[in-house]
Amino acid sequence: MRAQPHTAALAGLAVVLTALLAGAQPAADASRPARPQPVTAAQPMVADAFRSARTYPAVAAPVRLRIPALAVDSPLQHLGRQADGSVAVPKSPDIAAWYERGPRPGQAGPAVIVGHVDSRDGPGIFLNLARLPHGAVVKVDRADGSTVTFRVTKVSRVAKTSFPTDLVYAPTLEPTLRLVTCGGSFDETRGSYRDNVIAFAAPA
Amino acid sequence: MRQMQLRGHGYRWRLLPVLCFGLLAVLPAGSLSTPQVRSLTVTRAAAPASPAEMALRLQALLGQHSVLAADFMRGRIRGDEDFAQAADAALGRNTDAMGQLMGDLFGADTAKAFAPRWAEHIVELFTYARGLADQDSAMRAEAREELIEYEEDLAEFFVDASHGRLTKAAANGAMQMHVDHLLAQADAYAAKNYATADRVYRESYQHTYDLGGTVAGALLAPKQAAALQAPKWRLRSQLGKLLAEHVVLVENVTRAAVRNTPDFAAAGQAVNGNTRDLAAAMDSLFGAAAARDFQALWADHVEQLVAYASATAAPDAARQEKARTKLREIESRTATFLESATGKRLGSSGLASALRSHDEMMLRHMDAFAAKDYGTAHEIAYQTYEHMYELARQLADAIGATVAARLPVGGVQTGYGGLAETVERR
Repeated sequence: MRAQPHTAALAGLAVVLTALLAGAQPAADASRPARPQPVTAAQPMVADAFRSARTYPAVAAPVRLRIPALAVDSPLQHLGRQADGSVAVPKSPDIAAWYERGPRPGQAGPAVIVGHVDSRDGPGIFLNLARLPHGAVVKVDRADGSTVTFRVTKVSRVAKTSFPTDLVYAPTLEPTLRLVTCGGSFDETRGSYRDNVIAFAAPA
Repeated sequence: MRQMQLRGHGYRWRLLPVLCFGLLAVLPAGSLSTPQVRSLTVTRAAAPASPAEMALRLQALLGQHSVLAADFMRGRIRGDEDFAQAADAALGRNTDAMGQLMGDLFGADTAKAFAPRWAEHIVELFTYARGLADQDSAMRAEAREELIEYEEDLAEFFVDASHGRLTKAAANGAMQMHVDHLLAQADAYAAKNYATADRVYRESYQHTYDLGGTVAGALLAPKQAAALQAPKWRLRSQLGKLLAEHVVLVENVTRAAVRNTPDFAAAGQAVNGNTRDLAAAMDSLFGAAAARDFQALWADHVEQLVAYASATAAPDAARQEKARTKLREIESRTATFLESATGKRLGSSGLASALRSHDEMMLRHMDAFAAKDYGTAHEIAYQTYEHMYELARQLADAIGATVAARLPVGGVQTGYGGLAETVERR
């Protein structure tokens, strides 16, 4: 629709008056904080260019475990569960294993690494886990070349019959680590230790 | 307290602005033209049932405090006094709720001692923002000096109330970081360094939210505090933090979109950071494939909320309606995804309804903000935050139960007895 002549004249007058009034204002102080400008139809909308994030930084799988205080330096196997629902364990007593159906070390949640305390005739990789001091450093190297470092916050020994599944595996969003092995007395009848030793660690 | 009464102008004088804005907050709702929020599928329990529940609530209120204080300071810096006053009224409401909760959690005496200390540190934050807005470095320096004293005073209060379970160093460090965050985001915002301002805005929210858990863990009796270590509590807390942060960051970015101001880009980066964190959490809980599916849905959701804000700024009713229609479809797909991810522990119908309520509140928040009805905008923002926090709690419980159902069972068989005597002695 075309504007009527008098309307157009009024609009023009308004523009001139506005310009004059603006000119009468003191010069803006460049040192003062910015004041928001009112939105006008002529301004491009800054939000039109917005795009949501559609990727996130994934944490690479662990490949190696290092615990200087125990002289542990082991490649990591990736294992799941056994048929009876318990966590699978490495065949070799010299190698530690990461439970791959849980979080990766450094990812949100509790990552779990298991290792043997002994073999039938010698030490396992986690023989001295029960002696790991509070604050000891645990490093996990990952497939992308990165390393995540943890510090031990607690080491506890629990009966396998009352294994704290919640505290070891249950989902939280804290990037923690649990190291698990056997401990306590050996049950000759069952051929297994009665307890588990669990080292809890938090990001360093 | 003894220090505060001797200092400067005395705390009663300092509390005057808080009391004035507090009066605004308790005016009849009609005076703010507050629309009735649609009946929600998700409603907060009338009264938290246990100390652990109340500790969660304390975290949520502290996180909200951080955001409202930062918003108020930014309003002052922009010279947007109407917005600043509305933010301040919401902050007063938050402070009242926190005082009430402190009483419920730790007793009336603790709450009575806490309230004036907390209110005074807020007053000094306001003074600092005014110093920034007026380019008055002396005012800023004085406010900073006062804040340092209040940090120490609040830290001492927490140490005393915890009966020594919270160390002085830890309490001082936490309070100092809280204040440093708020001042740093304000400094950066005033300097138009919006990327830094919004990065610190997020850090401030996350730190202050977590502070609630630290305070509750230290002030509660050890037996009650033990519940805060349970994985179920921690998942509720952490998922609640991420999802409630989504609400405040969407509000932040859509306000910038409606204003069409240069702080929009940084606000967009901030909300994208939250989206990435949520996707990473889903990866940890359900694996990478589910995380990718979830992020695609969530990204669409955020984009349409921003699209609505942009259309509101234009203004373009057709584009607003288009965004609203797309949101409906995303709500439905997200509900279906979450129903499947939680093994039908949550039904898609209830989820879709809750997500729709969330979106509707977000849209009405933008409408009110665009109309410069900041009182209503803050009222809706407050309700949206509470609504999401409760939804997060239900999601956390369902997700926790789903993941727990597939955890390994029993102990770990990692020994053959070759060194049984040695092992037994360890």
